[in-house]
Amino acid sequence: MDNTSLSRRNFLKTTGAAGAFLSLGFYMPASAKQAKIVTAAEADQFGVELNAWIHIDQSGKVTIFNHRAEMGQGSYQAVPQIVAEELEVNLADANIVSAKGNKEKYGSQITGGSSTVRGSYKNLLKLSATAREMLIQAAAAKWSVDKATCYAEGGKVFHKPSGRQMHYGELVEAASKLEPPKDVVLKKRADYKLIGKPLKRMDTHLKTNGTAVFGIDKMLPGMLYAAVERNPRMLGKVKSFDDSAALKVPGVKKVVKIKRGVFTAYREGVAVVADSTWAAIQGKKALKVQWDDSGFEHLDTEEIYKRQAKALDTQEGLPFKKQGDVDGILSKASKKIEATYETPYQYHACMEPLNCVAHYQGDKLQIWGPVQAPEWLQEYLSKEMGLDKKNVEVNMTFLGGGFGRKALMDYPHEAAEISKAMKTPIQVVWTREDDATQGPYRPGITYRCEGVVKDGGIDALKVKLAGQNIGHASGAPKDKPNGSASEGFLKPYAESIKNLAIMDVPFETPIPVIWWRSVYASTNGFAYESFLDELAAEAGKDPLDFRRAHLKEERLQKLIDKIESVSGWKKRKKGEGFGVAITECFDSTVAQVVKVSKAATGGVKIDKVWAVMDCGWYVNPDTIEAQVEGSIVMGLGAATMHEVKFKDGIPVDNNFSTYQMPRITDIPPIEVHIMDNDENAGGVGEPGLPPFAPALTNAIFDLTGKRIRKLPFNLAAV
Amino acid sequence: MKFLKFRRTPLISQRNATLLSVLIFCGAVALSAFRTTDHLVTIHFKTENKDSIESVKAFMDVYTVLMSPRCMNCHPAGDVPLQGDDSHLHAMGPKRGADGKGVYAMKCMNCHQPTNTPGLHTPPGNPNWHLPPADMKMVFQGKTPHELAKQLVDKSKNGNKDTKQLLEHAHDSLVLAGWDPGEGRTLPPMSHKDFVKAWNTWIKKGAYAPAPTTN
Amino acid sequence: MTKIKLNINNKDTVLEADPQMPLLWAIRDLAGLKGTKYGCGVAQCGACVVHLNGEAVRSCVTKVSRAEGKKVVTIEGLSEDNNHPVQKAWQDLDVPQCGYCHSGQIMSAVVLLREKPDPTDQDIDDAMAGNVCRCGTYLRVRKAIHLASELQKTASNG
Repeated sequence: MDNTSLSRRNFLKTTGAAGAFLSLGFYMPASAKQAKIVTAAEADQFGVELNAWIHIDQSGKVTIFNHRAEMGQGSYQAVPQIVAEELEVNLADANIVSAKGNKEKYGSQITGGSSTVRGSYKNLLKLSATAREMLIQAAAAKWSVDKATCYAEGGKVFHKPSGRQMHYGELVEAASKLEPPKDVVLKKRADYKLIGKPLKRMDTHLKTNGTAVFGIDKMLPGMLYAAVERNPRMLGKVKSFDDSAALKVPGVKKVVKIKRGVFTAYREGVAVVADSTWAAIQGKKALKVQWDDSGFEHLDTEEIYKRQAKALDTQEGLPFKKQGDVDGILSKASKKIEATYETPYQYHACMEPLNCVAHYQGDKLQIWGPVQAPEWLQEYLSKEMGLDKKNVEVNMTFLGGGFGRKALMDYPHEAAEISKAMKTPIQVVWTREDDATQGPYRPGITYRCEGVVKDGGIDALKVKLAGQNIGHASGAPKDKPNGSASEGFLKPYAESIKNLAIMDVPFETPIPVIWWRSVYASTNGFAYESFLDELAAEAGKDPLDFRRAHLKEERLQKLIDKIESVSGWKKRKKGEGFGVAITECFDSTVAQVVKVSKAATGGVKIDKVWAVMDCGWYVNPDTIEAQVEGSIVMGLGAATMHEVKFKDGIPVDNNFSTYQMPRITDIPPIEVHIMDNDENAGGVGEPGLPPFAPALTNAIFDLTGKRIRKLPFNLAAV
Repeated sequence: MKFLKFRRTPLISQRNATLLSVLIFCGAVALSAFRTTDHLVTIHFKTENKDSIESVKAFMDVYTVLMSPRCMNCHPAGDVPLQGDDSHLHAMGPKRGADGKGVYAMKCMNCHQPTNTPGLHTPPGNPNWHLPPADMKMVFQGKTPHELAKQLVDKSKNGNKDTKQLLEHAHDSLVLAGWDPGEGRTLPPMSHKDFVKAWNTWIKKGAYAPAPTTN
Repeated sequence: MTKIKLNINNKDTVLEADPQMPLLWAIRDLAGLKGTKYGCGVAQCGACVVHLNGEAVRSCVTKVSRAEGKKVVTIEGLSEDNNHPVQKAWQDLDVPQCGYCHSGQIMSAVVLLREKPDPTDQDIDDAMAGNVCRCGTYLRVRKAIHLASELQKTASNG
């Protein structure tokens, strides 16, 4: 197994040597909503690139192309698991390669929004079943029997009455000449042999002996290494630079000024190119650069939150949702509950710092890197570098974490620029300090919540939020509210809370912002689910019963029953330190209960976390468990350990020494449960994160009576 | 044991003795912020002991150095070293281990190199980076001048050092590392030269311990 | 540039390097062994852990000159066939997610199990708190170390 990509030409050359093959994939016309399934021959006719999801050669070897980035979330295993199920092959017989960035071929390849499975599984199932049916049809024709008497299993077609069998490899030639059937019957969930089973990940063994190739591990003959000095204030231009000392560093070859695009803006940097990463980094340290960062306000963190508070005080905001008579009820109510929640800016902190290999060859550009959005990158670089799109080849390596940051094109852009200037293959490596201090970051948002409780329920709820809108950087209209203002908040609340307003108060800073695992749900969830808990307390209701009473949907009722039973919620004693939160994002809902107690050394400690995930139809429960555990750990860090602070426009913490990560000593036991149902597949990589922080602070309230409304907070100081 | 004039059993209670000694010597010790010791009282309170005053005064200088982050951080009360000018618990919680050199994959020298690593927040270095061993922890953190002085001259608590070895210890490479702490770390409150002078004075003048109430 | 002789993964090697270059970059860029990872460069995260004469040093702050004449073992040299008990336990429990930190995690765990073949949870904390995993695989790391301890026992008894 190889995780480097194969070009179609090489691929066909290799497989073509063995003769015929069956190659079947989607053809996703830009205008069409539904994928077309085509064979290689048809693809040529249409004049589109062959979509080689599945390729079976005469030896029976099955190659499955994984179109999504593998950054830990398990697409390397989930996609083949889906394909092998309907194709009826053993996973062990399937060879998996990462596909290149190509929108025509694979449709959206953005690994974001927890979309790998939920965005493509139906097409994948249909494609795989189509290939299987064609192989069965080919076998039936060879045997001159009714195809209804044949079935496929383990990479072979069997004729049930006679017991005859043929290997897929023997059938590919005949099958490749058939017209793909239009309507194939998909298996029922109960008949699945692979889907829904905790199968082993196929990339694990590559990650235990150092053979997995991450972006930073890619080497090309003649490749040089580059480190780039960038404006510490993230924005602005190079005024001048002195590279005399840098050029004296042994191994340094050249210093070049470059630019990189971040959203719609360009930022400048000075790149030191050398024969080793170390020499490049040493050269970078020796550079003296004068920056022009005029036109940008140099903000401190305190000032940002002061301004958010002021904006919330003075502005009503743009209505994202407004129903009933919220303001009337709030103004007349004898008792109004009010609370303000503050959430911090956050840094992605992927373990693999940003890096990218580029080889610019005049009329052609090749990229290898840890990228979440290869086809965006292909398009972007073709524009930026003035190349025909088909001459920009983007190869996805393994990603050492992504979490949203590696969907940006700035670091591959740098690599391409330097390669063009140097006329050699280049690897640009960001130091941890570069990675930590250049952004973009998750925006920090302040929420102002007001509510009125009546008859044990919510009579009115108003949430105003002030924080940067990620969309603005790429041109989202500023006179419209943030489309994700309620992300994380369970939609059915809007049915039971008749008087509801969600208002987006516009807020801008020069700090670049971007998606961070679970995006707005990661901050919204904290505010909404904390405030619900405050309203439940005001109503004198059990926090879980209070939510249950407002969430009438059967699917949610089942989820609530489940978290109640697995966490022993009903058996808990008063004041024992239990907190609950339920959030939804990317079509999955997660409920979490956190149990806390007083720590011997002061403050509180987390004794246990229970999580129930409802992601509908799912592929691999073991992957889901791992993703939920990981989400909770990341949520723990963001809630209790780290935030990006700014001083004079510069991010303060530049490495893990001060931007502290959760470590093995910080992790409580986590118990994950998955709801079993046949609903549409939801995401699994992100939805486990948002409920953690509010479940934790709600638990702390239960234990101590103290509300924590500002993240992050120090557990030891509670 | 020439310089070690401690007595374990005072004739009168330490507190009263100290008060008494203050009365006796307050005229002799002009403007001295330092009080005399119980031992002084128990042995010498009838005579004016200039050496003890100087020794104690010198120790209070020594004490400011020993309690500075550069020294105290590796003489913690617990089994995890301290870090930074605010002497917080060392990130990632490395443990002392039996020999003071860490445990398993978290041995001091795995990160702390023979020399300082360049840059801010990087591991300072020394060829022999370690904590005191588990069977003799030589804790500084939380110790009063009285307690620390007593501990430093107690062979059962000071690494079995006699006077000569104590004097030499001021030139130990790990002690010296305190004055070459790596980027971004404050230095001890006095130069190494002044520290050695105070250290030597303290010991040579009798290694007197300040009174228990001194802090 | 100096010629530095060392033994990497049981092979005598001469690297022509600036003696100040961290062992990490010498291993990666000069010896071409990319399994050892760069994470922070300041000994905070443990992604770069290799064995230097058996100790789990952080190669990002260890100068290549310190390795002169010594034995370096990287993740690539830990076993012939990806079958060290720690590697097997990691595979059995599908510990890695993105996998980037796990070369370092594994190299740290190997030293723990060598010095404490039957580690308690506290021992695991004491040994592994230096290795950061952003994907949050810590619970599986703990489980896998216990499993590796069992596998190690079976191997030495068998």
